[in-house]
Amino acid sequence: MTESTRQRFLDICRFKRTGDLCLLAPWLNDFWMETPEVWVNRGAPAELRDSRSLRAYFEFDHIRVLREIQTGLFMDKRLQVLDRTYVYAIPPILPTYETRKLSEDEHTITLVNEGGQVVRIDKRDPQKMPMYLDHPVKDRATWQEYKKRLSPNDPARFPADWQSYVERMNAKDEPLLLNVGSFFGFLREWMGLEPLLFALHDDPGLIEDMMDTLCEMEVSCLTRALQDIRADGAMFWEDMAFKSGPLISPRMFRQFMMPRYRVITDMLRSKGIDIIFVDSDGGLNQLIPLWLESGINFFWPLECAAGNDAVELRKKYGKDVILGGNIDKRALLKDKSAIRNEVLSKVPYLLETGGYFPSVDHFVPPDVPFENFVYLINSLREVAGLPPLKRTLE
Amino acid sequence: MAWDPEILATSVQNGDDEQTVALVKQALQEGVPAMSILDEALVPGIQHLGDLFKDGEVFLPEVLIACRAMDRGVGELKPHLAAGDTHRKGRIVLGTVEGDLHDIGKNIVRIMLECGGFEVVDLGVDVPATTFVDAVRQHSPDILGMSALLTISMTNMPEVIDALDKAGLRDRVKVMIGGAPITREYADQIGAEGFAEDCASAVQEAEKLAAR
Repeated sequence: MTESTRQRFLDICRFKRTGDLCLLAPWLNDFWMETPEVWVNRGAPAELRDSRSLRAYFEFDHIRVLREIQTGLFMDKRLQVLDRTYVYAIPPILPTYETRKLSEDEHTITLVNEGGQVVRIDKRDPQKMPMYLDHPVKDRATWQEYKKRLSPNDPARFPADWQSYVERMNAKDEPLLLNVGSFFGFLREWMGLEPLLFALHDDPGLIEDMMDTLCEMEVSCLTRALQDIRADGAMFWEDMAFKSGPLISPRMFRQFMMPRYRVITDMLRSKGIDIIFVDSDGGLNQLIPLWLESGINFFWPLECAAGNDAVELRKKYGKDVILGGNIDKRALLKDKSAIRNEVLSKVPYLLETGGYFPSVDHFVPPDVPFENFVYLINSLREVAGLPPLKRTLE
Repeated sequence: MAWDPEILATSVQNGDDEQTVALVKQALQEGVPAMSILDEALVPGIQHLGDLFKDGEVFLPEVLIACRAMDRGVGELKPHLAAGDTHRKGRIVLGTVEGDLHDIGKNIVRIMLECGGFEVVDLGVDVPATTFVDAVRQHSPDILGMSALLTISMTNMPEVIDALDKAGLRDRVKVMIGGAPITREYADQIGAEGFAEDCASAVQEAEKLAAR
């Protein structure tokens, strides 16, 4: 009998198992919405259009984020725009806003989405990231209204068939992650970046209240969930860095974010959950020590173009960090030689030292040729001593 | 208190807009020429902050509030300055290329350039080549700046350069590019004269290009 993905995940995270190639999906090994469609249109197998078949094709290992417990970003919303579906994620507000069309022209629709943001969607390509025109929180008055949607006591935060859900989840042999949410990322979704950055300086009391509200909601809901659910880890989403580094100073991180992170991570650790993941694009070198101090220890996607180097991080932090990603997507745009060099320059070392989950350094964009991605996965498998993907041998 | 440009420069760096405005007013009352206030205090103050930002010693919120203080200080000076004095370094048309809606990096560059003495015409995001060309024709900028976060959209940059060429405008404007996936090598490859490694480097690169 093969070992469960869950046990492999735990053993890799805890450095008890080295050399094992665990390609976690979705999220770590994932794709832009249009990538499979582009591949199929260029001759790849039609089954790749289906996300489960796509994961099966590449023999990915399934990880499950408990998105049904509505505390994080994964409240996926779908909106039909002409004959295509616009999919987007919003923070965990209950109730959500009523979607309302504000205007429309030949190529765009402007609407209030369920997150309360005013967005302009390109009708020709609804999957394309929308243009954000306005945000629901502007000041203390609008925040007082908005925060009513963040009550931890709303029954809709949990699946209606809770006991059945618990039984199904606890029976899974795959890693389960709590969907913890975000501090910086959610506030940016609510206010927009520039207003948030001004507010951090101009009205710190407002920021403190927003983060406290989130923290209380998260702790309350997750504590309740953990009475029944067995979770293996927890997941934050922040996206709080750009190419050069963090969007806020370490001082602000310590003042605003660290104390709230600690409340959550201390609670999680008290329940035995010590694998705590954060997804943030951009350059993380200044943020990683701050997150470690905050109790967060698993970092993804480690974008190469922003100066993240997983080998250096492993050497610097040893077994204090679990790493994911860091395979430069730009190499996949080149040729097999570039892909091979990218893999061999880091993956053997990272797999051998443990605590590493390989993936491209963000979702795979549609300009990556299907053949190159297959070559990447087979190169990773070769490094780990595995045969090529079964389907590519057919 | 006698006119002390360092105090005003520090006020800008601290993002203290009220003090900045008060000090500018005071200096004007004392008969300090508006250009001296701009050149000796406001511009050095924001430039020093830009250097600190480039070195990772200050961060975006500090830059934003300093730019706001600078902007309010310049607002007090404007009635005393000739047209164009606040944008003496040149004019830049700026935008994120078609297919890309990321604007954080582009907006930071805009703020830094405006604070650094450039006039910026911001075309926004998802800007088609034709719009860049029209803007160059309309505004006659010294520099055209293009940003891209996505590998899939950066390939639209050479299309803009080609479109400028076809419109007969290529010799009239320098092209500067930047964004997470962009490298100097790529800038050279597509024939862009300028490349900003990061937001903080954009002002220095623009100054070099504008001076050519």
